[in-house]
Amino acid sequence: MRNALVLALIFAAACFAQKPAGTKNPFAGDEKAVAEGRELYNHTCTDCHGYDGTPGEMAPGLGASGRRFLRTTDQEIFDAIRNGIPGTAMPRTGLDETSAWKVAAYIRSLRGTAIDAPAPGNPAHGEQIFWGKGQCGQCHMIRGQGGLIGPDLTNVAGRRKLYSIRDALTRPEHTVTTDGGSHEIHLTPLGTYRAVHVVTRDGKTIAGVLLNEDNFSVQMLGTDNRLHLFSRAELRQVNYDAHSLMPTDYDKRLTPEEFQDLMAFLTRLGTHE
Amino acid sequence: MRASKWIGLCVCSLLAAPCFAQSFAELAKADPSNWFSYSGSFGGQRFSALRQIDTGNVDRLGVKWIFHVGRAQELEGVPVVAGGVMYVSQPNEVVALDARSGRMIWRYQRSTRNGGHNRGVAVYDQKVFVGTTDAYLVALDARTGNVIWETRMPGNSPRYQGGAPLAVNHKVIAGLYSTSGSVVAYDSDTGKVLWQWNAIPHPGEPGSETWKGVDAWKFGGGPTWLTGTYDPDLNLLYWGTGQANPDFIGDRRPGDNLYSECVVALDADTGKLKWYFQFTPHDVHDWDSVEIPILLDASYEGHPRKLLVEANRNGYYYVIDRTNGKFLHGAPFVHSLTWADGLTPEGRPIVVPGKEPTLTGNVVCPPTQGATNWPSPSYDPETHAFYLIATEGCSINYRGSENFQPTSVSSNGTGYIESPNEGQRWQNYVRALDALSGKLIWEYKQIGSNHYGPGLMSTAGGLVFAGDNQGVLTALDARAGKPLWHFSTGEKITASPMAYSVDGQEYIGLISGPNVIVFGLAGSQ
Repeated sequence: MRNALVLALIFAAACFAQKPAGTKNPFAGDEKAVAEGRELYNHTCTDCHGYDGTPGEMAPGLGASGRRFLRTTDQEIFDAIRNGIPGTAMPRTGLDETSAWKVAAYIRSLRGTAIDAPAPGNPAHGEQIFWGKGQCGQCHMIRGQGGLIGPDLTNVAGRRKLYSIRDALTRPEHTVTTDGGSHEIHLTPLGTYRAVHVVTRDGKTIAGVLLNEDNFSVQMLGTDNRLHLFSRAELRQVNYDAHSLMPTDYDKRLTPEEFQDLMAFLTRLGTHE
Repeated sequence: MRASKWIGLCVCSLLAAPCFAQSFAELAKADPSNWFSYSGSFGGQRFSALRQIDTGNVDRLGVKWIFHVGRAQELEGVPVVAGGVMYVSQPNEVVALDARSGRMIWRYQRSTRNGGHNRGVAVYDQKVFVGTTDAYLVALDARTGNVIWETRMPGNSPRYQGGAPLAVNHKVIAGLYSTSGSVVAYDSDTGKVLWQWNAIPHPGEPGSETWKGVDAWKFGGGPTWLTGTYDPDLNLLYWGTGQANPDFIGDRRPGDNLYSECVVALDADTGKLKWYFQFTPHDVHDWDSVEIPILLDASYEGHPRKLLVEANRNGYYYVIDRTNGKFLHGAPFVHSLTWADGLTPEGRPIVVPGKEPTLTGNVVCPPTQGATNWPSPSYDPETHAFYLIATEGCSINYRGSENFQPTSVSSNGTGYIESPNEGQRWQNYVRALDALSGKLIWEYKQIGSNHYGPGLMSTAGGLVFAGDNQGVLTALDARAGKPLWHFSTGEKITASPMAYSVDGQEYIGLISGPNVIVFGLAGSQ
C-alpha cells in the first residue's frame, strides 16, 4: 500500500514536470517553410537578435550550441513570437499566425542539424544524382569514395543545418556563419576552400583551393589533387578567384524532383555528433 | 557549368609537390628526407643519414617554428614526415603541418570520450594510419584528412594502447590488448583484418605448457604497446611483449609464462610465430619487454650476420640472430642490477633468489620503471654504437596479500615505489654501448632527470640528440658524449626527436609537452 502511494506520487510529479506539448507546428519539417521563416526572421528579428540566429546587440542567439533554452516546444516558441515574453525586452513581433509558425520552424531548425529532420524525397535516387548528373562526387568524398578538392561530406547532415546544405547548392557565394558564441583559440586550417591560383617565380600556374596561408607561406590543394606548399618568396602572384569552385545553380541544372532527391540524400549523410 | 571547368583543370603539375605515394620499396629505402614511421626506418635504428647539421655547426641551431597542439598535455608521439608534410597526433586527433613553415594543412578529430595514449601514426600509399582510444584503426587521406576507412579492432572489449602503427607491404600492423596482448595486421587498402597473433596461448596451443597454474593463462598479459620493427628481406616482424598478469605475483602462474616478456618474430604475411626469445621468464617485476628491437647487419665473430639488438628493461643488453632467434651475447648496461647473477649461454637469466615483491616491500635493482623503458634507443652505423637512456637505481616492490586472488585481467597484484635509500635513487644517463659487445663507450649524466626520459636519435652529422624530462634537448658528440648544444623547451619532454629535410634544408623535430618544435641552422630557410 505504501509502495503504491509512493508510485502514485512519483507519477503525479512526473506529469506535473512534463511540459504540455501544445499545438504542433504545421510547418514542422517543411524545408520551404523553414527557408521562408529564415527570411522572415532575418528581416523582422535582427534589430535585437543576430543574423541567422546568432547573438545580437540586444538579445541572445537562438540556436547557439551549448546554450540551454527555456522555450523548447513549438507552442512556446510560437507564443514568444506572437505575444512577446512578459517581463523581458522581447516584444510582440506583429507577425501573422502563419508567419510566426514559419519563424518558429526556422528557430527549431537552428537547434539541430539536417540529420534531425532530413528533407523529404527519394534518397536512393539522390545518391545516383550525387555520383552522376550532379557530378558532386568528382570533388566531394563520402566514406572514402569521391574527390578531394571539396569538403568530405560523410557527416554533412550531422554537422550542417538543412538550410545550410540547400544554400551551398543554390546561393552564390553563400557563407557559413558560426553561432557567434565560440571562438577557435587554436590555429586551424582555413576550412573555407577559397579558390586560388598562384604563379611561381618560374612562371608556372597552379590552381586549387586554399588550405592555409600567412604572410610568409601558402598551403593549397591543387586541382591536380596534390598538396602544394609554398613560401611566398617562391611565388610571383597569389590570385584569389572571385568565385568558389562550388557550383550554386543546382536548383536550375537539376529538375525539382532531382534536386529534392539530392537534398533527401545529403540530409541523411552522417550521425548525430 | 563551373564544375566542368574546374574538373577540366585537373592536370598534373610539373612542379615539385609533396609526394605521398610512398611505395613499399620507397619505405624500405628510407629516404632520409622523410621520417615515415615511429622509429624512422623499418629497422628501428632512429638514425638519420642527414649530415647538414653536424658537430661543427650545431651551435648555430635555432628554432624555426613551433606548433601548439590544442588541448594536448604531454604528447608522446614522434612526428612523421613524408614529402614535406608533418603528421602529429594526440589521442583521437591528427594534424598535418607544412613541414617548412609549421602551418596547419588539415586536422582530423574523432569524437569519443575514451581516454588513452597515442604515440604516433604511420604513412603509406597516400594514407595516414592512426589508432583511436575507442579501438578503431583509421586510414586518412594524406592530402585532406578525409577518412578512407575505419576498422573496429578485433576481440572482446579491445583496448588500443597507443603504439604507433607500422605500415609494411600493403599492411598496417598495430598492437592491441583485449584479454591479452596481440599483434594485428590490417589490409592497408581496405582495413580488413588479415591476421592476429595472440601473445598468451590457450590450453593445448604451443607455449601453454608454460602456464602451470589452474586457469592461470586466463588472466592474460603480454601487452604489445610499443611499435615493433621489420626486416623486408626476411619478411619478419619483430615485436616486444610485456609482463604476465598479475604483474607482481607469480604464485598462481608457475612456469615461464610464454609469450610474455619476449621479442617474437612473426611472418608478416600470415602472423605465424617464426621464433621467440624470452628475456625475463616468469617475470614478477613488471619489466615489460616492449623496448624497440633494433635490426642491424654486422660481422659477428668473423661472420656476416643479421642481428637484433635490444637494451631490455631488466638491465641486460642482448645480441640475437634475427633469422632464428639464437642468443649470441648479453651483458648488463647498468650497475644497479641485483635480481640476476648473469645469463646462461642460452641467454636465460640466472635469477638471484629472494628478490620477489613482498608484503613489506623488497628492494630490487633495476627498478620496475626499468633500466630503460619505452623512450627509444638509437644505433649509428657509422660509429657502430648503440645509444640509450639508462636509469640507475632501485625500487621497492610490494605484493598486495599473502594469498592473492586475481579477480580480473587488470589485477596487478600491487606495485612499486622509488627506493629512498642512499645510492638507490633514480638517475638517468645517455649511454653509448659498443653495439656488438654491449661495453660502455661513454656516458652523459642527465642531471635532474630521473624518470623514464625521452628517446634518442643519432645522425650522420656525428650527433646524438637527447631530450631529458626536465625539458632540455641536448646535442651530444656521438663519438665522445660531449654536449655541443642545448635548448630548454619549457615543457617536459616525453617523446623522441626526429630529423627530416625539405628543399635541401635539414630540420630536427621534437615534441615537448603540447608543442611541436622544429630546429634548423641559423641563416637557412
